[in-house]
Amino acid sequence: MHIPLFLSTEISGVSSGCQQGGCLTCSDYNGCLSCKPRFFMHLERIGMKQIGVCMTSCPPGFYGTRSPERNTCTKCRLECDSCFNKNFCTRCRAGFYLHLGKCQENCPEGLVRS
Amino acid sequence: ICLWCFLRPGAAGQGQSTAVCSPSCSCDEDGGADCSGRGLTTVPAGLSAFTYYLDLSMNNITELPAYVFKNFPYLEELRLAGNDLSFIHPEALSGLHQLKVLMLQNNQLKTVPSAALKNLHSLQSLRLDANHITTVPDDSFEGLQQLRHLWLDDNNLTEVPIGSLRHQANLQALTLALNRISQIPDNAFANLTSLVVLHLHNNRIKEIGDNCFAGLTNLETLDLNFNNLMVFPKAIEALPKLKELGFHSNDIASIPEGAFHNNPLLRTIHLYDNPLSFVGASAFQNLSDLHSLMLRGASMMQDFPILTWTNNLESLTLSGTKISSIPADLCEDLKLLRTLDLSYNEIKGLPSLHGCVRLQEISFQHNHIQQIERDTFQGLSALRLLDLSRNEIRFIHRDAFLTLTALTNLDLSMNSLTVIPTTGLSAVSQLKLSGNPQMKNVLSAKNLPKLRSISVPYAYQCCAFVGCDSVTSSSEENDVKKSTGGEDVERISMIMHCSPSPGAFKPCEHLLGNWM
Repeated sequence: MHIPLFLSTEISGVSSGCQQGGCLTCSDYNGCLSCKPRFFMHLERIGMKQIGVCMTSCPPGFYGTRSPERNTCTKCRLECDSCFNKNFCTRCRAGFYLHLGKCQENCPEGLVRS
Repeated sequence: ICLWCFLRPGAAGQGQSTAVCSPSCSCDEDGGADCSGRGLTTVPAGLSAFTYYLDLSMNNITELPAYVFKNFPYLEELRLAGNDLSFIHPEALSGLHQLKVLMLQNNQLKTVPSAALKNLHSLQSLRLDANHITTVPDDSFEGLQQLRHLWLDDNNLTEVPIGSLRHQANLQALTLALNRISQIPDNAFANLTSLVVLHLHNNRIKEIGDNCFAGLTNLETLDLNFNNLMVFPKAIEALPKLKELGFHSNDIASIPEGAFHNNPLLRTIHLYDNPLSFVGASAFQNLSDLHSLMLRGASMMQDFPILTWTNNLESLTLSGTKISSIPADLCEDLKLLRTLDLSYNEIKGLPSLHGCVRLQEISFQHNHIQQIERDTFQGLSALRLLDLSRNEIRFIHRDAFLTLTALTNLDLSMNSLTVIPTTGLSAVSQLKLSGNPQMKNVLSAKNLPKLRSISVPYAYQCCAFVGCDSVTSSSEENDVKKSTGGEDVERISMIMHCSPSPGAFKPCEHLLGNWM
């Protein structure tokens, strides 16, 4: 998933209130405090504040982990733009090349950059 | 063969767009259109034909009619998550020849829209998680030769969709977690030779075939946590490249001998929350990439595991077993060990641990250890925490702590000590000695300059640390001051916590003891 210049509503739509679709409980100051089932809870930092956001997919640089109790967003590795889990990238940051889930600065032997 | 390595496309241009856009969306100059969360019921008109990223998530689009995306030949990423989508016309996605990422999670689909997906020949990532999918037709992913990442977690699958996966030789990451799968037949993933990650956690898997992972020659991560497995998954023998293995929170009672003999690259094994009663002594040998091993409650385990060539272990926890001795050569293999927790076993004696020079934390709590020799902890200059509580220690060699220059926390409570050596304890800030009823001597603060908290067997022993005039008779008081240095008593007493603290009702428990 590419980062558009504007942030998708899931991110830019972080209103200071409870207008977000995925919220179950919320406060005007902290946004979502809990999410509806099957939504991912993510804490967005805006200045000094942290706003709870409920999403259907985690923002760039994070991956979602589903469990019966809650769904959370966890940071990918630094070199990943997006990832499937902690050790498997699905898209690399600029300057890195993806091969079998690993973002590498150079392609393995026998492979060329594309 | 020249396999593809992908470079992330250039970053988007800056600033709001003057590009062709729909009033219901905001668009950037690079062809990105964000129409999410606008209450839309259909795909908005007026978007640029060069749109390559379209976010329609969190709207009210419940159906996708035929050819609805026919005007977007350059679309690479389409997000339709969170729309209550229940029907996708077989021709709905026609024309999306360059689509790489399709997000359909958090919708109401009951089956995989296989007809609609058929011609997405460039598709690499397909998200179908958090729907209500009960069936995956065998032809579901037939046209998707480039598919690499597939999410089917959080649906209602009762079996592994073997047929639909049969032709997915390029698939690299698959999650079937949070479904109702109860068993994995042999050869279920036979053709997935490129698969690197397989998540099966939070299912109801009770039985797996001994050959169910056959063919997964490149698998590195296997997550079987939170299932109902009763037998150790022997099928992992087919996974020579496995690095992360999880089967915690199952019903596995024993880990057999040589359990991981075919998985030499294992780095992490999560196996806690299993009713383990037996662990084969040879289960964990030759795992040179393993960094942490945590085994709790294998109550029938008697032999210390053989850890030859498992020589990069940094943390070892073995507690709640019948292990009664530690191999003398333990530290020849485990030179990188930093934490060692052998609490709640039946260990009677300790070998010298001087080879484990990086040890920082040791817990031998709740064993049957009776004495500490001169060389038991010799050379452990990085050791900070040492818990020897709840043993039967009668004797500690006077030089036992000599080299423990970094030790800050020492717990010797609940033993059978009469005296303790304090040489070498210059860095100790917390010392626990309570529960040693034979230790009646007045302790000296002389060798404990950094002490901040101490628990002692008797209240009067606190007088050496917190100064209590009302308690000791004048002659004893002088002795105390002489031995601890008057001004030191004032300085220590201000920041020292000693328990049981002396008071009106516990002044001379020691004296009473002598009269009785």
